[in-house]
Amino acid sequence: MFGLDFSWLLDPTYQQWLIQGVLQTLELAAISSLFAILIGLLGVYGLLLRRAWLDASIELFVEVFRNTPPLLQMLFFYFTLTQIGLTTLDPVTGLQVPVVSAFMSAVFSLSLFGGALCIEAFRSGFDAVPKATLEAARALGYSRWGMFRHVQVPIAARICLPPLTNVLTNLFKTTSQASVITVPELMYAAGQIYNDTFRTLEVMLFILLVYVVLVSLVVWGIGWVQRALIYPGYGA
Amino acid sequence: MKNHRMRLLAAAMLMLAAPAITHADALADIKARGFLTVGVKNDYPPYGYMDNNGHTVGFEISLARYIATQLLGSPDKIKLVPVNASNRMQFLNSGQIDMIMATLGITPERQGQIDFSNAYVSAAGPSILARNAVKFNQWAQLKGQKVCGVQGSYFNKAVTQNYGLQLVNFAALPEAYRALQDNRCVAMVFDDMSLQKKLKEPGWSNYKIAVAPYEFTPMAAGLRKGDDSFREAVNQAIVKAEGEDKLIGWEKAFDMPPSPYIAQQAIAARAATK
Repeated sequence: MFGLDFSWLLDPTYQQWLIQGVLQTLELAAISSLFAILIGLLGVYGLLLRRAWLDASIELFVEVFRNTPPLLQMLFFYFTLTQIGLTTLDPVTGLQVPVVSAFMSAVFSLSLFGGALCIEAFRSGFDAVPKATLEAARALGYSRWGMFRHVQVPIAARICLPPLTNVLTNLFKTTSQASVITVPELMYAAGQIYNDTFRTLEVMLFILLVYVVLVSLVVWGIGWVQRALIYPGYGA
Repeated sequence: MKNHRMRLLAAAMLMLAAPAITHADALADIKARGFLTVGVKNDYPPYGYMDNNGHTVGFEISLARYIATQLLGSPDKIKLVPVNASNRMQFLNSGQIDMIMATLGITPERQGQIDFSNAYVSAAGPSILARNAVKFNQWAQLKGQKVCGVQGSYFNKAVTQNYGLQLVNFAALPEAYRALQDNRCVAMVFDDMSLQKKLKEPGWSNYKIAVAPYEFTPMAAGLRKGDDSFREAVNQAIVKAEGEDKLIGWEKAFDMPPSPYIAQQAIAARAATK
């Protein structure tokens, strides 16, 4: 039908590229998501401290990393840092080699970009914790950290999960941009294969399907957490 | 756009002209017609491309004009028809052109469909660019090494499969050169002619062609099967050009690295005429 030709899927070299691509995509997404959530938690905790200079710094961080294209950030970490001298001596070849690898550049940029979005998502959750609950916690003698840990996080986390799903699925899809700085993830593998076989349509259709499956798994996973955490009155 | 329209017009005119061409004796037909029709590239420097004035020029164009001079007495008794890799064989076999001179490599599959003239170029495949200090000089020594390259290069799969290179492929050539200079890769793999040209640029004196190309593709003019007298005439013209060092001159004119094949052919051509 439509003259589609998927015989390239049988080629062992392409299979190897694809498997490596899926693994790299998963690795990149997992590490970046973890760091993004950590940055989000740190940032939102900083905001709760209500220090003017801290607020301003976090605000600046969010504006810079949320409002610039992740692709630009990757290229910045990959090329610019090396050119301004972030290199190290390789004992084997005696040459100055870059400190920041392609994978690290991608992790940096995705973590910071995702982190900025996470701060915003978490902030909305924390803002939604009822004032009365916080006053009650304070009346019971909770410290600021204790209140964060035992009252705000449990309630806010449930409210945050739907926007967090958005952030993490977006982050997962943004990993495809790492192909530009030669991280051999799924999109990179796809480019290699269709440049070789000229079966652009078939390769794209296949990669599309793989992304749908992988991202659906992420959405399903967060949905599972959401359902497991449900308690009456908060979240859905 | 304008160029596109011109091409369409040219194609349409050729189609009208096509039935008039008979296949009995190509050489006699060409001489009767008074001009030679050659399918050429116009987007592939240095072999055939548009110069700043919109004229199609290049190594193969110069040779085609030389052949026209030998056959018909003037380099202007020629009609250049832009062709590409996917339509040039049909253009030839349907009689719209007399000859292909469009980076046409001699392959066994093509030999079943058309005839070839003598090979006038031996086009190098990919070679390896690296720092002067590197010790490797064989493809096999690059197994498992990070080598910068460009996405979509036709040899990417071959060097991965045959020599085990760990390719780090960039979307565009400048990024690959940048990454090589940043030492992100031990070497870079690309079309030999481009790398040779790069070496001549300032800032590249610490680099060399560390590993020579593993393959050379002979390039020749493509002719319809059975046009033997025409092929003989074309071959004589090519040998004459080789003997007069014309090809070496065009190499220089179009900034191509000197090719050992062309130098050898020039010597052989002179030896044959003595």
